[in-house]
Amino acid sequence: MLAKGVKRPRGEMEGGDPEPRDPSAAPASSLFNISMVKLHQSLRHVEPNLRHLVLVANTLRRMQDQMQREAGGPMAPDSPEAPSVGDDLLLSALDSSISTMLEDLGQVEVLSPARPEEEQPLAGASGARQELARTSAPCLGPLELLSSASYLLEDGLEDIFEDIDTSMYDCDLWSPTSLSGFKAFSGAEDSDSKALAGAEDRLDMSDLDYLMDVLVGGHAL
Amino acid sequence: MFLKFSLRSIFYGAGGGGNDIQWCFSQVKGAVDDDVAEADIISTVEFNHSGELLATGDKGGRVVIFQQEQENKIQSLSRGEYNVYSTFQSHEPEFDYLKSLEIEEKINKIRWLPQKNAAQFLLSTNDKTIKLWKISERDKRPEGYNLKEEDGRYRDPSTVTTLRVPVFRPMDLMVEASPRRIFANAHTYHINSISINSDYETYLSADDLRINLWHLEITDRSFNIVDIKPANMEELTEVITAAEFHPNSCNTFVYSSSKGTIRLCDMRASALCDRHSKLFEEPEDPSNRSFFSEIISSISDVKFSHSGRYMMTRDYLSVKIWDLNMENRPVETYQVHEYLRSKLCSLYENDCIFDKFECCWNGSDSVVMTGSYNNFFRMFDRNTKRDITLEASRENNKPRTVLKPRKVCASGKRKKDEISVDSLDFNKKILHTAWHPKENIIAVATTNNLYIFQDKVN
Repeated sequence: MLAKGVKRPRGEMEGGDPEPRDPSAAPASSLFNISMVKLHQSLRHVEPNLRHLVLVANTLRRMQDQMQREAGGPMAPDSPEAPSVGDDLLLSALDSSISTMLEDLGQVEVLSPARPEEEQPLAGASGARQELARTSAPCLGPLELLSSASYLLEDGLEDIFEDIDTSMYDCDLWSPTSLSGFKAFSGAEDSDSKALAGAEDRLDMSDLDYLMDVLVGGHAL
Repeated sequence: MFLKFSLRSIFYGAGGGGNDIQWCFSQVKGAVDDDVAEADIISTVEFNHSGELLATGDKGGRVVIFQQEQENKIQSLSRGEYNVYSTFQSHEPEFDYLKSLEIEEKINKIRWLPQKNAAQFLLSTNDKTIKLWKISERDKRPEGYNLKEEDGRYRDPSTVTTLRVPVFRPMDLMVEASPRRIFANAHTYHINSISINSDYETYLSADDLRINLWHLEITDRSFNIVDIKPANMEELTEVITAAEFHPNSCNTFVYSSSKGTIRLCDMRASALCDRHSKLFEEPEDPSNRSFFSEIISSISDVKFSHSGRYMMTRDYLSVKIWDLNMENRPVETYQVHEYLRSKLCSLYENDCIFDKFECCWNGSDSVVMTGSYNNFFRMFDRNTKRDITLEASRENNKPRTVLKPRKVCASGKRKKDEISVDSLDFNKKILHTAWHPKENIIAVATTNNLYIFQDKVN
């Protein structure tokens, strides 16, 4: 046994087999499933632990390569041929899910709203996942997360901005190049933002106020 | 003077070597019960430059500073106990409205500034915001105001008939911590490191994909000096895991990655240091290849030696010492817990394989230390090549009790006093350790307790 009366460590703990095993002896498919579960759990967070996510994704890719290489050779009875094709699709679906989730993280920097067109590839990805996933855990893809979180909204995130003057989105000042990075936002020549950013202990709240003002058209940049 | 001499005699005199030091229990701080409150989990430990102060940060966003008492040192019974000096709430949980998520208040790192005047300064950071704290002592207070009563109430000016000069009177020592700078809004990803430059004017902060350079006086802007975010996030395969400034060379810093590489950068070369000056990487051992090769090669900590000539990296199973002049392999490698190599599968399943252990140098760069599981920690003497495993446990809690070396039995017949790998408690991990900059005093953090050990003073 791994430890006497294995307690779940703080943080994620999959229902993995606690028996210590030689990595080469563990069937690749069960490791693959465990990795899939880990990936899904990681993606479930709004801000996933990037290191964990990247390491698991890379390990999954390694396993996929291995499984594809073994696809020609003798297969274990419980891993039919379909998985290598399915896993291929799975991984590319995952790739796009990972990238979309990570892309969303990147969007915060330029303050653009979530793009509805991103939901299309997600729908495709989660569809593929549901068809081909061999994990026992239900696959909660990003699309499902969005819909469960948007119970207040019929048509998606655009409804948030219904009562806001959308001409703000046409403003040149919103384009990524002119904002030149969110982090310089409070450092620029703008006297308003400087005044608001002046009091150090009110920094966070004043940023929020500024953003809200801009969104409702109260401030010019 | 006496201590410096004894340090040298221990290492270079008869029988020198870190393991001829007899480590003794000195103190333990923190709650006794096994039920660990989440907020009490220690997340960082750091001595200041003189070693007189020892700071810890926890998951609840608090910083506790201990101060070494000076009197006993002269009596040379012990090296002076550490007692609580100041406790303050450094970071509070925050809510990011844009992303609708809570920002953890856990203190990821604390770094001390060198002392310039009576006050002490440190930087503390959570995932998103770095703060500069001033810790100052007040042992006098003014008395005898003309317009204020002693309790602070204002007097009616018309009742004032005589004037007096207020004077300072002694009071019980009060230690105050006040935030002097807040460096916010510069990190999209989670901050893993902060490091103060040897110019003592600037510092760097690193998150998963970027490193920023700050001036300590300026909070509303920072310079981005490293950016490894790919244009296409689909291509993301590597993150930054740690970063540190060179101790002497103010234009040089290093950062480590999840792929086991370390890049040394020179800020004079260009504004954006995306191209490294040196790349340190050891080729993979083909006989040890597995699905987990990359994960266990991921570097969890990087620390320059005090001399600046070497740097040490910690990956999952080993500690490596690199000579800055040699990029293709480390000059020394120490196995921390090689017996775990056959258990990587289970450690992957329960996520232990992702644990980030730190490492540290002793003051003379001759011994390095790092933590392991089961509340064990390990020390490696670079000169004698001997190593030792010790345990942080309340069972040996009589002061000046010499710690008994521990041994893990990897396989086969377990000898008496040895512990088998399967009996190790993987929930008891020592991730954070610190070594006093001048003396043989170490601080070792278990989940929620801080242990202080000292060498035996004769």
